[in-house]
Amino acid sequence: MKVVMVQKSQRNTIVSIILTLIAFVLFISVSLFEELADLSMVIMIVGLVLLAASWGVYFLSGKSAPKEEVENVITVIACRNCGQVEERSFAPGDYIFKDMGQCKKCSGPSFIKSIYSVSPKKE
Amino acid sequence: MTSVLLNIVWMVLFFAVIITFNQRLQLYSYQRNVEKAVVRLEELATKSKEDAINSIKSFAPEGIDLRGDISGFLEFFTIEPVSLDPFGVLKRLEHLLDIRRSRSVEFVSRIAPKATKTEKENIEVILEAATAVNYIYKVVRHFLLLGKKTKSLMIFVQLDMQLPMIMKQAEAYYAAQTTFTAGKPIGDGLGPLVASKLIFGSPQKRIAEDIIYSEVDIEKRKVIVLKAEGPGGVVGKPGEAVKELVEGLEGKVSRIIMIDAASKLEGENTGEVVEGVGAAIGDPGPEKYKIEEVAVKYKIPIDAIVCKMGLEEALTTIKKEVVEASDVIVERVKKMISERTKEGDIVIVAGIGNTMGVGQ
Repeated sequence: MKVVMVQKSQRNTIVSIILTLIAFVLFISVSLFEELADLSMVIMIVGLVLLAASWGVYFLSGKSAPKEEVENVITVIACRNCGQVEERSFAPGDYIFKDMGQCKKCSGPSFIKSIYSVSPKKE
Repeated sequence: MTSVLLNIVWMVLFFAVIITFNQRLQLYSYQRNVEKAVVRLEELATKSKEDAINSIKSFAPEGIDLRGDISGFLEFFTIEPVSLDPFGVLKRLEHLLDIRRSRSVEFVSRIAPKATKTEKENIEVILEAATAVNYIYKVVRHFLLLGKKTKSLMIFVQLDMQLPMIMKQAEAYYAAQTTFTAGKPIGDGLGPLVASKLIFGSPQKRIAEDIIYSEVDIEKRKVIVLKAEGPGGVVGKPGEAVKELVEGLEGKVSRIIMIDAASKLEGENTGEVVEGVGAAIGDPGPEKYKIEEVAVKYKIPIDAIVCKMGLEEALTTIKKEVVEASDVIVERVKKMISERTKEGDIVIVAGIGNTMGVGQ
């Protein structure tokens, strides 16, 4: 079992910047457009909430819970006599060059030729 | 008028917050990152200890306080020799490493007497990985608490900058422990794997601690191939073995070829095979020194062939790319021997690394 940490911080930083920019635009617009003067208090509160949300997103969020990946380990068994190769999942006790008894095809001596992990396919 | 006043209040409030709480906010931000890392490290250290206990439990005798014993062993330390006077520092270091190894062997024999030789060797590396994770956790926690106590922004900034590397290392050791528990071959086993491929089927003799060697004929040259004795998780003393072999042959060795795994730089591919010169061995010093010393004494050229991989890849199950690279290296060794030596020459090939999951 392999543990993989998924980084979320980059996405959260972008969200935080966008929220701050919206708040900034709201504050500027009150100063620029006199028509909005009556709504200045509401806009200020909305802006403050957006700023608070922006800080919250930036400071309080972080890495998500670690995701566990199942490792795919293959054991390759080969025959010294006929070269027959068989692949199966790794089993405890397997090691490279372990004697594996008789070959199923020719009854010659077989052994573990290789053990390796294969990276899981990315979605 | 109200609008102007409001703007002034805003400006004052803004500057008051920025001036008063600027550093505090930064401190809080860095501290939070470190706290999150410490939580994850604590989780890794606890899981790592539990996994170690579970993997040893079945080999432990009745009535033993396994949890207490393992908890105590995870705190085991080695004091480095004094280097103010460097004379003989490697001999002193080797002595200390030998004592540490014998203490570890003794401890494993006591807590897991029912285990076989291979299983005992694997338990040793499981405990080493758990000790490493535990140590990283304790050091990072120490700096977190120190930073909190002194309210030092600098401690948190420095720690936060180094966290990505520290976490990578801790995750790698934890992942390695899972691999060690199953006894799977690891990326660092590339050297022993290449050596095993060269000597497969030949009679083997034991030389030095946990090292075996075999003599094979390649292109009418006598090639002495050595590796750690698998399939348990040992690295042995390849430096001692090379020294003994060269001294035994009175220096009549044409070349020493060393094969090892090497850490890759970002951007390099896993499984890339590279050649160079020098003793390719990543030990703390004594083994490398012995090889260099004997090579200099008899003027023997040392060739190095390394396979690139990341730290986690070196400590976890060997990747298909690395296994494929081992076949490439076998061919390179043969080519190197035929091109750089003459018929009848003696060549030493040393497969360096942890031989877990690799027999011979």
